[in-house]
Amino acid sequence: MYKQLLAKLIIAIVCFYGFGDYSYAGDELNCVLCHKFRGLSRIDKDGKFRLFYINQELFDSGPHRRNKCKDCHTDINKIPHDPAKKVDCTQECHMVEPSSTEKFSHKSVAKVLSKSVHSPVDKNGKEKKFKEDYPGCKDCHDQPFYRPFSIYKGQLKAGVSKRGISRCKSCHTRGDFAEDFYEHVTTRLRKSRFPMETIEACAKCHQDKAFQERHDLDDVVTTYKQTFHGKMIALGSERTPDCLDCHVVEGENTHLIEAQDVPTSAVYKTNVQATCRTEECHSKASAKLAGFQTHVTYDREKYPLQFYMLVGFKALMAFVLYFFLLLIFLELLRRLFPGFSFFKEKNNNSGDN
Amino acid sequence: MVKFIKKVIFKLYVIFLMGFTVWYGYFMYPLIFGFEGKEKAEASLMELGKAGTDKERMFVKLIAEKEQTKKTDLGYRVIDQPYIEGRFHNIGISVEPDNGSICVRCHGNVPHDHSKEIRSFLNMHAFYLGCESCHIMPGKDAPAWEFRWYKKSTGEVTDNPVALVEIEDSYKTAESMRKYPMYGNYGAKIAPGKIKNGTFTFLHDKNDMAFVNRYIVEQDHLGPEQKSQMKRVIHDSVSKKPLQCDRCHQKKSPYLPFAKLGYPLRRVSELTDTSVVGMIRKYKEFYIPNFLTPGGIKD
Repeated sequence: MYKQLLAKLIIAIVCFYGFGDYSYAGDELNCVLCHKFRGLSRIDKDGKFRLFYINQELFDSGPHRRNKCKDCHTDINKIPHDPAKKVDCTQECHMVEPSSTEKFSHKSVAKVLSKSVHSPVDKNGKEKKFKEDYPGCKDCHDQPFYRPFSIYKGQLKAGVSKRGISRCKSCHTRGDFAEDFYEHVTTRLRKSRFPMETIEACAKCHQDKAFQERHDLDDVVTTYKQTFHGKMIALGSERTPDCLDCHVVEGENTHLIEAQDVPTSAVYKTNVQATCRTEECHSKASAKLAGFQTHVTYDREKYPLQFYMLVGFKALMAFVLYFFLLLIFLELLRRLFPGFSFFKEKNNNSGDN
Repeated sequence: MVKFIKKVIFKLYVIFLMGFTVWYGYFMYPLIFGFEGKEKAEASLMELGKAGTDKERMFVKLIAEKEQTKKTDLGYRVIDQPYIEGRFHNIGISVEPDNGSICVRCHGNVPHDHSKEIRSFLNMHAFYLGCESCHIMPGKDAPAWEFRWYKKSTGEVTDNPVALVEIEDSYKTAESMRKYPMYGNYGAKIAPGKIKNGTFTFLHDKNDMAFVNRYIVEQDHLGPEQKSQMKRVIHDSVSKKPLQCDRCHQKKSPYLPFAKLGYPLRRVSELTDTSVVGMIRKYKEFYIPNFLTPGGIKD
């Protein structure tokens, strides 16, 4: 009897502490009890696959790790819970924004986005056509990761430097403050995404043919990939500009992308030079550098000059290549059959004899 | 003779060069004029997507996105993970296909849909439990099934997953708690079987798999009645009422022999006595009175 009670007590303590310590600091409701299983999923009424699994390791690798599940999923108050509502990224979470006494929220980002070309409403507050096409937070962002780096004795290295962080930890000893701060700041010192990932995020909409037709847009992603910049990024360069580098004015919030015909836009005809000649890019280049059409779309009706240039260039290439290939082929044929001729000359010698 | 051999070699060399010239012309064509075939294929997919109903569009999209992955380069690590449109949280891992299950061939990996409130839980179990575990019961007077793990890749009997022990180890020290064990994705599933002449065999063996595969291939050649006949035959051993949650999640005599299947003591206790049973009780008492009757709740 006592043995059984003792065993129960031990198991209860182990389980309690096991879960208590293992779940995230922010997982007050022990959501991972179920959400740690990769198979927690279903197909919804529209036939979409819904996966409810949370990869704890990856969740802990980004800035949201300090958030409690309930900070975003505010409507979940009990376990088991009802289907969760869509998360509103502009709501306030438990953290206090360090430069003020206000609670943290992404409201400021939403405000900037509302001024951009990606806002579903225009300057006058009127809804744009096909408003469902305009992106929400999740259309461009999935759960972010930290991309920390370190510089030690002049050498830049990806990841958290033990030497670097040891200096922080000599004063900031409690909890994970030093790690959080270090990863947050170093991630922000460079681009938070690899260029190809940014391009893929934009491509979700901008490479969609139906989307292009609805908004009368060119296939800017495909044409970008054909450029030198696009090819460098495809080869793994992180120093080459992606969409945001050219479409956001230097020093502006990355969410403020404006249409080409807006005078304050980074790609407005009089601003392109400044965009190309920023300190990090072609600072010493002539202003003429920006004189070319970056996204060349070969559409016969829209851009006839470019279209016929392409046709002419292809024709020239084809003519030169296939003319010389034919020449080589015929030459080889002659080597194979040196005496062959369609029109053989009559042999007059036999008559003479 | 030597002259003749030289001549033959020369002719072969010339033929090779002629072949190379033709191949080079063929090779260069798409580089000059674009990959026409690919563009056409994309255009036809787009057209199909545009012309069809929502369902057709979804199907086209599914085909296009099949096994789509997403790469994230952190500089010190590249995360390559499955891509699901509209998903915010990272997934991280791909799931190994279950080649050993005859049911998955038609019903897929996410088969549960009827019991709205618990279908996600049931699908979660389908990642490490073979369908037969809950859907085929031994007869009233028949001996209880034996349970073993089968390899998802081959369908063959395999040892208890090491991951179960690794999960346990992650609870031991503060340092190990920083590691992230993988729950439910063991590359293996539990399925019932029998012991015949001292050898264990699963209820569904390779012959059953061959039978189902043949049905899938031949079904278009069968008449509607024949199809119904075949479906009846394939499903004839499926129990009317599936196994209920509290048959396993109970302390006295759980239906699945957890300890024998490699679950460590703490985990067995968790599954049969504390957190999990506690949650089921919560469901049962305060939330969904029918939680313990899968299949009983309809959408």
